[in-house]
Amino acid sequence: MTTITLNVNDNEYEVEVAPHHTLLDVLRDKLGCTEVKNSCNQGECGACTVLVNGKPVSSCLMLAMQADGRRIITARGLAQDGKLHPLQEKFIEYGAVQCGYCTPGMLLAAKALLDENPHPSEEEVRMAISGNICRCTGYQQIVEAIMAAAAEQ
Amino acid sequence: MNSTKTIFRPSGYFKPTGVAEAIQLLEQHSEDGWFLAGGTDLLVEKDVQVEVLIDITGLGLNYIKSDDQGVKIGAATTFAEIAVSPVLQKGPYNILAQAAQQMGTPQVRNMATIGGNICHAVPSADSAPALLALDAILKATSKAGERSLNITEFFLNVRKDALRKDELLTEIQLPMFPDHTGAAFIKKGRVAVVDLAVVNTAVRLIIDDSNTCHGVRIVLGAVAPVPLRAVKAEEMLEGKEPQGELLEKAAIQAAEEIKPISDVRSSAEYRKTLSRVIVERALVEAVAQARA
Repeated sequence: MTTITLNVNDNEYEVEVAPHHTLLDVLRDKLGCTEVKNSCNQGECGACTVLVNGKPVSSCLMLAMQADGRRIITARGLAQDGKLHPLQEKFIEYGAVQCGYCTPGMLLAAKALLDENPHPSEEEVRMAISGNICRCTGYQQIVEAIMAAAAEQ
Repeated sequence: MNSTKTIFRPSGYFKPTGVAEAIQLLEQHSEDGWFLAGGTDLLVEKDVQVEVLIDITGLGLNYIKSDDQGVKIGAATTFAEIAVSPVLQKGPYNILAQAAQQMGTPQVRNMATIGGNICHAVPSADSAPALLALDAILKATSKAGERSLNITEFFLNVRKDALRKDELLTEIQLPMFPDHTGAAFIKKGRVAVVDLAVVNTAVRLIIDDSNTCHGVRIVLGAVAPVPLRAVKAEEMLEGKEPQGELLEKAAIQAAEEIKPISDVRSSAEYRKTLSRVIVERALVEAVAQARA
């Protein structure tokens, strides 16, 4: 076991990890970040998406040791001072949440897009969430919610 | 190596800060040490034989540079970086940026590296046809020094490449191309995005002042054990005027040179037909670009 430092949602944690532990394992099982979802565990579905230094990655495909010293944002880190992130507000308003399992990953993929490209086209929104599968297939509302959040920026 | 191991449980992880240190570590763990870059193949396959991981993302092999010799890409450069690199938007290099944009998911592109993609050496690797069409030279470093490999001699079989066990792929070099060079990349999967290729193709050619083709490259991926140059089809165009019927004939010839299999993504027959269609489209696009 090796001790690494993870900055998760602006809090620093020292955690003991083994070489085979993925970032997903550590976030869920050691730090209690159950908002990071495990589904396919092979980088296909996007449910485990987190932002690492601002970029969306599949936390199931990153070893925890590779994330040592990096800044990680999970869906829990979106709300600030008790106020939901505009994307979260729009997801609620547009009914973009059905079963909710893909939602944390969708929100983070969308946040990464808007941080880089504040006024994306619909095509750009669809490409940005192309790595996130919604099993309920409610993509239309998700796209509309992201477009609406972008329009109000 | 512990032969009784049945699950992925590496016992060591190292993150060296220089190429020499990485090679030294590999030498120390020559039996069971593996280089780790983006990890997006490793953590899907979780090979039980992996005992020691040597992370090569801290070696400074993360760059895209251009000079009067051409373009140099560090082996640990991610596909997300390649996809938006200003250097790779220009001229024929653009086919590599296009291949990068169509590889995996956005999340995977932020992690996966070009060096990892080619060293993994699967037939469907999206960067391989583009690199073959661009006559890439690969720089490998070992304790014995550096050596250059032509990409045409790199892919030996499915998941088998020409690197020696003690070597690290450090850089991918692309030569300069003259004006009037055209190139195109087309990938077809089962769905529009986020899928392995059923077939992918990259072509490149130069059209000279007398309206004839030179330096023709026609490359196909996912249709043979290794990414393949359709050499006879290339020869059909060499020194010839690139008109419609000839391009069509070259595409038919290219489809004759491949050895596709039937698998979960496609039948062999469909791969053959699709290869002919997309090679012709790619040739038409490359010719138009070379004339522009």
